Amino acid sequence: MSSLQGYVDRRVILILQDGRVIVGVMVGFDQKSNVVLSESKERVYSMDEGVEEIPLGLYLVKGDMIVLIGELDDAVDQAVDLGTIHAEPIPPIRY
Amino acid sequence: MLPLSLLNAAQNKPMLVELKNGETFNGHLVNCDNFMNITLREVYQTNTEGDRFWKLKECYIRGSTIKYLRVPDTLLDAVKEEQNRARDAGRGARGAFVSGNRGRGAPARGGRGGRGGPMRGGRGRGRGA
Repeated sequence: MSSLQGYVDRRVILILQDGRVIVGVMVGFDQKSNVVLSESKERVYSMDEGVEEIPLGLYLVKGDMIVLIGELDDAVDQAVDLGTIHAEPIPPIRY
Repeated sequence: MLPLSLLNAAQNKPMLVELKNGETFNGHLVNCDNFMNITLREVYQTNTEGDRFWKLKECYIRGSTIKYLRVPDTLLDAVKEEQNRARDAGRGARGAFVSGNRGRGAPARGGRGGRGGPMRGGRGRGRGA
């Protein structure tokens, strides 16, 4: 059985169905993949400006909305200067 | 930490709820259940575009329509502390007693259920019995 247990207390990146990208520390989850993130920040990507990080704090994201959860390699992530990254934002899923 | 324990601890605290359609609700949590259905009081609602606002005395939100909830940072420590206290209290209350309790409880759980469930609806008795 697949589990999120290995991600607890790690820095993770979440991608939601609406295209949002959120990074934070996973403090908990449940059977429906609802996830609690602390110190979370949204990363807003655009082609014209560098990545903008918006602090969100303590967040409870419903499992329904989550597309992807990945562990962040802190060392690599720190080494990246987000201000220099220009990228297309992820479009929302359309039904 | 379970998301629902956090939500339960958020009662009477301010929070922001965004629905899957992008509408947001700012208010104080009155109540919630295990489906994440919630009631808020003193609510400011915004539409998806964020350009129109409504004030509601109270509202009920079906859990399945929620995208995420944003809760106060301080809640995390409050819940962690509460859990630690509950764990310690549990340790204290248990002890010599527990084994006795388990002994009595175990057979009922493992054994065949009451009410004769297994017999009824089992194999038939053949034709015409």
